[in-house]
Amino acid sequence: MGDHCEQTMRRLSTYIDRELSESEVKKVKAHLDDCPPCEEVFDFQAEMKRLVRKECCTDDAPSRLRAWVRQLATEKPKPAR
Amino acid sequence: MDQRGVAMSDDFSLFERHLDALYRSALRLTRKPEDAEDLVQETYLRAYRYRNRFKPGTNEKAWLFTIMTNVFRNRLRQRPAPEDPIDQPGADFSIYEQMRREGMPVHLMSPEEIIVDRGFGGEVKRALEELPVPMRMVVVLVDVEDFSYKEVASILGIKIGTVMSRLHRGRQALQKKLWEYSGRPKAPSLAVGAG
Repeated sequence: MGDHCEQTMRRLSTYIDRELSESEVKKVKAHLDDCPPCEEVFDFQAEMKRLVRKECCTDDAPSRLRAWVRQLATEKPKPAR
Repeated sequence: MDQRGVAMSDDFSLFERHLDALYRSALRLTRKPEDAEDLVQETYLRAYRYRNRFKPGTNEKAWLFTIMTNVFRNRLRQRPAPEDPIDQPGADFSIYEQMRREGMPVHLMSPEEIIVDRGFGGEVKRALEELPVPMRMVVVLVDVEDFSYKEVASILGIKIGTVMSRLHRGRQALQKKLWEYSGRPKAPSLAVGAG
């Protein structure tokens, strides 16, 4: 693993989380375009992040709770149970 | 209704739109629907009580999550949950690396093929809910709720470096759990050490 690979792997999470500066993003992007093994690791970790989000976004608040919050917005609520 | 009252109720509908986000995160934190509902109610009651302290134009989602994570942590202190198994930081673990080490042709597979076809995708919620609370909160806030590191640091009152290390360890621990749930031999125990 070359220096560029190591640097890229160290920055991979911050890159995926869009926390890098523009100049750092350019560097990482350039390396990923150039280096299939690093790109595969990136693809995998990015997919893991998407998966966590997708799996966890399926639980919507119960309608009873929604009604309670809506009531709070319009009038003074009864104390929570 | 006077002018102020109208404004107030408008403000509150701003808060209302984050209900699903608060609820699904509350579920991950408390693990139980009735506790999650209770936590969300307490969060909204406090938001209502302190609504005058919210600065219009600032991030209301972050404000609500600050309230909720504080209420949650206070409750934990009052009635501690059974001790979470804590993964020691140490050697890196990723499903991708582990499969590659075991000779799987991961370079010929798409991430979806690796994760879904090999059975790693089904129990993300369970894996997340088994993470120790500090890591779980950070993974939920960053990966599910899409907060920035800076926002998470402010919500939880911790340093950005702490956000990053908890996130790193949390994601690895999550993948380790998914690896184990898929029926594969226990992932190599992570060496205790700096990390």
